Amino acid sequence: MHTTQSNTYPGTVGAAEAVAPAREVAAAETQSTIFLWMLTTVALFVILALLGIYMRLTQGGALVGLRSWFYPMMTLHGVGMAGLWFVGSMACACEALRKHVRASSAVAVFALAGTVVGVVLLLVSVFLGRFAAGWYFLYPLPLLGEWPAWSAATFLTSLTVLGATWLIWSLDVLRAVAERYSLSNALGWHYLRGETEPAVPPAVIIVTVSMIANVVALVSGVIVLVLFYFELLTGRPSDALLMKNLTFLFGHTLVNLAMYLALAVVYDALPVYAGRPWKANKIVAISWNSVLLIVLLAYFHHLYMDFVQPGALQYIGQVASYAASLPAAIVTIFGALLLVYHAPMRWSLPAVLFFLGLLGWAVGGIGAVIDSTIVANVRLHNTLWVPAHFHTYMLAGFAIIGGYFYHCGRQSAKADISEPIGRYQAVLLSWILAGAVGFLAMFYWAGAYSVPRRYSGYPIELAHGTTYALWAGIFASIFLLAAVLCLIDVMGSWRKQAPVRADDRLGAPSPIGAPAAARAEE
Amino acid sequence: MLAAPAWAQDAQSEADEGRALFDEKCVVCHTNGGGDHIGPDLAGVLDRRPREWVARFILEPDRVIAGGDSVALELLKKYNGIEMPNAGLSAEDVEEIIDYLAGTPGAAAQAPPPRAREAQPPPEMLLAQASILYTFLAISVIIVAVFTFVALSTRGPAASVDIARAYQLRRVLFVIALILVASLLVATMPQSPYARAGTTADRVVYVAARQYEFVFSEEPIVTAEDIARSRRIASLELAPGELVEFRVTSLDVTHGFGIYGPERQLLAQTQAMPGYVNRLIVRPERTGPYLALCMEYCAGGHHLMSVPFTVESATPVASHRPTSSLTAN
Repeated sequence: MHTTQSNTYPGTVGAAEAVAPAREVAAAETQSTIFLWMLTTVALFVILALLGIYMRLTQGGALVGLRSWFYPMMTLHGVGMAGLWFVGSMACACEALRKHVRASSAVAVFALAGTVVGVVLLLVSVFLGRFAAGWYFLYPLPLLGEWPAWSAATFLTSLTVLGATWLIWSLDVLRAVAERYSLSNALGWHYLRGETEPAVPPAVIIVTVSMIANVVALVSGVIVLVLFYFELLTGRPSDALLMKNLTFLFGHTLVNLAMYLALAVVYDALPVYAGRPWKANKIVAISWNSVLLIVLLAYFHHLYMDFVQPGALQYIGQVASYAASLPAAIVTIFGALLLVYHAPMRWSLPAVLFFLGLLGWAVGGIGAVIDSTIVANVRLHNTLWVPAHFHTYMLAGFAIIGGYFYHCGRQSAKADISEPIGRYQAVLLSWILAGAVGFLAMFYWAGAYSVPRRYSGYPIELAHGTTYALWAGIFASIFLLAAVLCLIDVMGSWRKQAPVRADDRLGAPSPIGAPAAARAEE
Repeated sequence: MLAAPAWAQDAQSEADEGRALFDEKCVVCHTNGGGDHIGPDLAGVLDRRPREWVARFILEPDRVIAGGDSVALELLKKYNGIEMPNAGLSAEDVEEIIDYLAGTPGAAAQAPPPRAREAQPPPEMLLAQASILYTFLAISVIIVAVFTFVALSTRGPAASVDIARAYQLRRVLFVIALILVASLLVATMPQSPYARAGTTADRVVYVAARQYEFVFSEEPIVTAEDIARSRRIASLELAPGELVEFRVTSLDVTHGFGIYGPERQLLAQTQAMPGYVNRLIVRPERTGPYLALCMEYCAGGHHLMSVPFTVESATPVASHRPTSSLTAN
C-alpha cells in the first residue's frame, strides 16, 4: 500500500495493517522467553525497590542501625535498576518486533542466562564483598574504596558479563532487522528520500536507532572495563577525565535507550487500544535519526562540573540535551496524544499504563532539560534533583513495561483485551500514583533545597533533608505495596482464559474505530 | 632564652614527625581532640587503651579485626562498619604517631572551640533554586492538563481528526519550541561558570580533596606528602566582594567541591579530579558561615566530607574585575 505523510496519521485506517503482518514468523519459544523476562523483571523490581525504600528510610533516620549497608545497597539499587530497566525494555521491544523480524531465539535465551549470571556476580560483590562504588563506578573509586580488591574485581567481571551479553543481544537484533528490511530502510532513510515502500513500523525504526547507539555505548563500556583491568594488572593509572567521558557515554546512553525501547513498545501497542494505526513517515524517520546523533552527544551534560573538559563539549552537551526534547515532544508525545485524541479508546490496564508512562516521560524530561542547562546545573548537580527526574521517567518506563507484560499476557491467554480497567485496578493505580507523586515530590523539593544525593545521612546544616527522606520512604512504601498488588494482577493476566470476541482479537480492525477512520480518510 | 635540652628536642622532633604522619595518614578519619569523625577522636586514647594495643592496631588493623579482637570489633560496630585500612606504616612511624598523640596539648586545645552546630528549620529557598522549582512545576501542570484533556476527549463518541490541521498545529508548536530552545540557549550559555581567559582573582585558594577531607592551602598540593609541607589554611576567611579562585584537585578519587552559603543552599560547585585542577571563580557577597560539601560520591565517609569557612565583613574588597558567580540569589 502506498502511503503519504498526509494520510498515514492516526484516524485513517484500522489497526490491522499496522500490527498484523508477519505474525506467523513468531517462534513459540520467544513467547516463553518474554514470560521468563516478566518473572525476572517483576522479582528484581520488587527487591530493588525495597532497597530504595531502605535507603530513604535510612536517610530519614529510621534505620540508623543498618546505615553501614547504605552505600553497598545504593550500588546494588542503582546498577540493578538501570540494568533491569534496560533488559526489561529490551525484552519487550524484542517481543514487539517478533511480528516483523526473526531474532535468534538462542540469543534471546543466552541474553537471559547471561543477565542472570551477571546479577549473581553483582550480588556476590555487594553482599559478600560490600562493594560500594555506585552504579557508574566512577574511576578510580572501585580501586580505592574500603572494600576488598576481589569484590571490585567481581563487580567488574559482573559488568563485563552483562556488557558482553547485551552487546551480542543488540547485534543479533540488528542482524535480524537488517535481514528483513536492510539497515537503511530500517532507519527509515527511504522515507527521507520521499519513498513510502517498504512500510516500516515505527517500532522497527526506534529499535534500530537504539541498537546502533547501544552498540556504541556498550563498546565504550568495554573500553572502560579494559582500562580498569589494565590498571589492575599493570598498576598504570588511566586518565580520570577520559574515563569519566567513556563511563557516561556508556551509562547515560544505556539508560536513555531503555526509555526509547519502551517508547518503541508504545508505538507498537498503543494503536491497538486506540483503534488507529501509528505508522512511520518522513517526520518520524527524521525525528528518530536525529535522536541517534543527539543521544550520543547529550551525555556531556554529566561533565558540566568538570571545568577542565573542553568548553565546546560543555556547550554541545547543552545544545544536544535541549535538541533531544524537540523530537520527543513534537513528534512522539504529540503523535501519541493525536493518536488518543477523540479515539475509540479502550482504556484497559495497558492503555492506561502506556498513557501514564508517556506523561511521566514528559514530566521527567522537563526536569532533565532544566538540569541540563549549565547555569542551572551549578545549583542542581548531584543534588536530589538528579534522582528526582530520572526516577520520574524510570517509573514511566516501568509503567510501560508492566503494561506490555499485561498486554502480552492477555494476548497469550487469548483474553479480551478490550476489557476496560476494573475498579480494583483503578484503585491500585490511584495508590501507585499517589505514592509515586509523593516520593518524587520529596526528591524534587529536596533537590531544589540543594540536599546532596548519595548521602547516607545529612549534616546538621541540611537536617531538613532527613524529613524529606522519611516522607519519601513512607510514600515509596505505599507505592511499592500497591505496585506489588498490581504486578500480581499483571502476572495473573497470563493465566486468564476469558472468552474473546472475534472482533476484539489483536490486530482486528476496531468496530468503533472504523467509522472514525473512514471519516478521517475523507 | 635557654635552648631546650637535647632529649627534649629529640622528643619534640619525634612528635613533629608524628604530627606530620598523623596529618598525612590519619586525619582523614580521626581528629586529635576535634571530636569523632569517621573514626573516633584520638585525644587521650592512651588513657583508654594500653599503648601496646594502640600500636598494634595502628600497625595492622586488618589482622587485629580478623583475629576477632573484641575492642576492635566493638569499634567497628560503633563506627558504621567502616574498617580501618592498613596504612602500611612501619613500627617507627607508629611510635612517632603515638608520641604525638601522647603529647599535650592536643590539637583541640590549640584550636578554638568548635562552632555550635544545631539543627535549624529549612531556610527560605534562594531565588535561583525557587525559579527552577516553580518553572518545573508550572510546566508539569501544563503537561498534566494537556494529557488529561486528551484522555477526557475519548469519553464521548469517537470522532475523526482533521490531520491537516493537526500537522499545521505541529508545525506551529515546532517553530515555537525551536524559538524557545534557541532563546534559552542564547540567554543561559553566556552565564556558564567556567573561568574566562584573563580573569585574575583577588585571592587564590588551593583545595586538595581526599577521602574524606578538603585541605585548604596557600600553595599547590599535588601529593599527600605535600599536605604536611604546604602552608595549610586551618581556618579560611574570605572578605565579601572578594573575587576568589579555588583551584581544586583530588589526591585520590573524584570528589565534588560544593559551596553552600549562609542560606545552606548551593551557590557554586566544581569537581575535584585526580590529575586535574578545576578553577572555580566566585565572589561571595553575603557574610556568614559557609560550608563546602563533597558533591561526588567517594565511598564510605562521603557524607562526612565537609569543611567550613567564613566570609567576614571586616575588610570588604573593592574590585573592578569582572564579576563571576556566587551571588546568593
